[in-house]
Amino acid sequence: MIAFDFEYYRPESIQETIEIFQKLDQKKKKVCFFSGGTEFITFARVHQVHADSVIDLKGIPECTALEGKENDLIFGASVHLNQLIEANLFPLLSQNLRNIADHTSRNKITLGGNLNSRLMYREGMLPLLVADAKVTMYGIEGHETHPITQVFGKQSSLKHGQFLTQISIDGSFAKMPYLAIKRTRISKIGYPIVSIAALVKDEKLRIAFSGICEYPFRSRKIEDILNDKGLPVHERIDKAVSCIPGPMIDDRHASGQYRKFVLQNVLEEAMEFLEG
Amino acid sequence: MSENQIRSSVGKPEQRIDTVEKAAGTLRYIGDYTVPGLLHAKLATSTYAHAKIKSIDTKDAWAVKGVRAIVTGDMFPYHIGPILADRPPLAYEKVRYYGEPVAIVVADQEHQAKKAANKIKVDYEPLPVVNSVKQAFQSDAPVIHENLGQYTKIISNVYPQAGSNIGSHIKIRKGDFISAWESCETTVTANFSFNLSDHAALETRSARVEINPAGKVVIHSCTQSPFTIKKVLNQFFNIEVGNIIVHTPMLGGAFGGKGTVQLEPLAYLASVAVGGKLVKLDYDREEDMITAPCHIGLDATIKLGADKNGKLLAGQYTFLIDSGAYTDQAAGITRAMALDCTGPYHIENVWCDSYCMYTNHPYATSFRGYGHPELTFAVERTMDMLAKKLNLDPIDLRIKNAIKPGHTSPTQAVITANNIGDAKQCIIRAKELINWDEGIKQETGKNKIRTKGISLFWKTSTTATNAQSGAVLTFEADGSVNLNTAAIELGQGAKTILAQIVAEKLGMDIKKVHVTMELNTQYDPHQWRTVASSTTYLAGRAVVAAADDAIKQLKKTASIVLQCSEDDLDLGGGRVFLRPNPEYGVEIKDIALGYKFPNGHSIEGQVIGRGKYIQRHLTPMDKETGFGKPGPWWSVGAQAVEVEWNTKDYTYKILKAVNVLDGGTIINPATATQQMRGGMYLGLSFASHESFCFDENGVVLNPQLRDYQMIRFGEHPEYIVDFIESPAADGPFGARGIGEYGVIGMAGALGNALTAAAEADLNHLPLTPELIWIAKKGTNQ
Repeated sequence: MIAFDFEYYRPESIQETIEIFQKLDQKKKKVCFFSGGTEFITFARVHQVHADSVIDLKGIPECTALEGKENDLIFGASVHLNQLIEANLFPLLSQNLRNIADHTSRNKITLGGNLNSRLMYREGMLPLLVADAKVTMYGIEGHETHPITQVFGKQSSLKHGQFLTQISIDGSFAKMPYLAIKRTRISKIGYPIVSIAALVKDEKLRIAFSGICEYPFRSRKIEDILNDKGLPVHERIDKAVSCIPGPMIDDRHASGQYRKFVLQNVLEEAMEFLEG
Repeated sequence: MSENQIRSSVGKPEQRIDTVEKAAGTLRYIGDYTVPGLLHAKLATSTYAHAKIKSIDTKDAWAVKGVRAIVTGDMFPYHIGPILADRPPLAYEKVRYYGEPVAIVVADQEHQAKKAANKIKVDYEPLPVVNSVKQAFQSDAPVIHENLGQYTKIISNVYPQAGSNIGSHIKIRKGDFISAWESCETTVTANFSFNLSDHAALETRSARVEINPAGKVVIHSCTQSPFTIKKVLNQFFNIEVGNIIVHTPMLGGAFGGKGTVQLEPLAYLASVAVGGKLVKLDYDREEDMITAPCHIGLDATIKLGADKNGKLLAGQYTFLIDSGAYTDQAAGITRAMALDCTGPYHIENVWCDSYCMYTNHPYATSFRGYGHPELTFAVERTMDMLAKKLNLDPIDLRIKNAIKPGHTSPTQAVITANNIGDAKQCIIRAKELINWDEGIKQETGKNKIRTKGISLFWKTSTTATNAQSGAVLTFEADGSVNLNTAAIELGQGAKTILAQIVAEKLGMDIKKVHVTMELNTQYDPHQWRTVASSTTYLAGRAVVAAADDAIKQLKKTASIVLQCSEDDLDLGGGRVFLRPNPEYGVEIKDIALGYKFPNGHSIEGQVIGRGKYIQRHLTPMDKETGFGKPGPWWSVGAQAVEVEWNTKDYTYKILKAVNVLDGGTIINPATATQQMRGGMYLGLSFASHESFCFDENGVVLNPQLRDYQMIRFGEHPEYIVDFIESPAADGPFGARGIGEYGVIGMAGALGNALTAAAEADLNHLPLTPELIWIAKKGTNQ
């Protein structure tokens, strides 16, 4: 159980949200935005997160949008994963999200929540990275839309009081060949030791990774190597593995050496997908 | 016992009598209870694995609204324990494991108690941590229990070694191992290990205690051992046994973890601190996993020696059991592993050293199988290694050495035709069911192979030598019957089995047998703990005796009414009737509460059937040789596993799991099959997924279901279960015990199947793909 008292607000518009936040912020309250609440609840009950007030974003219409608009696909940040999977507007996203947690949790976990996760995995990022997604945020200073890489890189650069409302991609990405693979320590469900999402655009592989270093990433350097038809496949893989942008994670889920082994196998599958 | 008649209930797949409430979700478990004025207790637990407690600052905790009391270890600085009294209920002067209870906060609301518990500040002085049994066994290891030599022994078979981390050392010395080993033409030596893990029952632990002004201590708890709670509170807290009343409802899973006594003394101390008011202590899942005792870890070395034909001549077994910070039941498991150390094989020269080791890990208690899944993994892997060396089929090697009547166990107890199941028949049947003859290894596709592994196992129930059960039958005015025993329903179907025995004996429909689902030690007959696969046997015999007693009384009343001899009467269809003239009889409902003649005269009164059964001829083990008779019989079984292994990435799927068990007569084939399947699941999950992870300071990194992995629904194999029924002459309707056995051989069979696939010896658990990868790398070097 959560052992501390906190206030709960459920605004019904962006404007109302900003007003509530400002009022609370002026009173020096610690405010937490949430949608699904799975992280807030599970971390709060073990004293790892605390808030004076929580603002539930699920009542904001923009945050629960799920539609194709002209050439774009719009995903509201507070849409829960099972809904996104069932709507299947972006098959790579559906495949990738299906690998996160378990079915019951996916009834609550939202895409925005996953992007803002305290844990290092944030697997929901991967299809968005390869599809050049944009994210829209609102805050005291108004609204902004940026490429996702500018907002969610190694860390989140959301400003104080800013909250995510929508994520959008160009609809053409939803039609490209795709691949999502997740490997865990054991079992279908668990934290990823290697997780990838990949697309083929203009006969070139785009690939994003989670679980192998401390943040999910897409690397042009690695893509250039993997797309280099001049090198034999196994050389491309070895070279790519040596170029990951941070130290290989070594923890109780998998040692660094074993993770490297798994990554090599996953990249082999990715290369077969590219050839095919 | 009516073995030769056609049975009406025993042997039939009667529907479980406890399931309707559970499926409807209306059953109230122990934690589903609230009453005005109930106070809540929450624990503050240790954040160090080994440290001195310099001071405890409760000032901020007291400032939380609603706090009524805070209890710390200095309020009860004594040691308790079921085998060796080595554990203070609340840490006193030092902490010995991460998660150890340090203080209890009692408050009006649960969240207030939890908030305050989180504000308790303990000043720790860290001590060097003993983080493995191997380290604990070194002569220069830090000593975790400085006063080991002064602890009280509660039973005789525990041998602590002061000045070390050995909580108990149990020995088996049978025959002459040293000379026999010299004469062995083929030998195998291997080492096996795994870390501690958890029971992870669905129901987290809860208890509530009230001390009423008359001095009666009333306890409600999800325990497997209600009478043991009374014993502990009497022995260590000086309360008269008659003033302690324990209530237990149905449990939401236990697997041995609720057999020991931890919460109740804490809830009792909490109640004392608030003047005897009703206090409820609930464990969060994290506390349920590591504050409450868990499942042992092990480091085992086995040496087996055989002649050139594969006949086993000598075996040496060294078990270092990771008992964690306190011995609890692990000291009993240490003994259980020694007395059955060989597995179901005939070996004349046996040398075993079984050590219950202290480490700075959460402490361990009984886990389903009580040391047998653990020892069977080590023994069955060694048998496969020996078979490989001898170039023998693994099943043939086992059949050649299977123990039979006339042989002796490691404790030199004589095996008879009556006290053991038929191991050979079990393994022959398992061989058929897993289709062994098609070959151990098949290629099934790109990078995929399918392999099989086998294991043969046994277990005896090492109950207390005076373990017993009792049963009382009373009747309703309509002739239906109430059965009252203190056997606890954990989900194993115990109540259903006992109802079937009554239905069979009294010749009535099982729907007319009403079994008490909740237990109250004040009016339930005394019962040894609901553990050790002993309940069908002990409680079954007591129920049979109670039924016989009721039948005698019914016949007496009927003989007066029918004016005939009792010897000419029989029971059936709700009547007592004259055997040669069945139309001449009387309905049970008209005599069960006495009989009233038409003129108003009444005779005999209500029938109260009483029965009891106590273990026979059990002895403790000799300190030097282990000689003794610690258990009444052995059930045996064979299990097999078929896996599909990916040769490229080392992941695997468990396709099939086979279980053939000989536990004597099977009273209910449906519940027995369900028990086997649940046990197989538990054994496979333990072998493949489950383990606590510790950092270098002994801190548990995964005390949550978030990343304590278990096999999930959908990942389980196809279960194939069969039974061989070699009846026990003294079991109820010929039954022995079967409850735990589904677990026992799974780790061994899985290890053997994956070893065959990977062509590398897999001797450590859990069997994750990474572990297989590491083992393969080792063989390639």
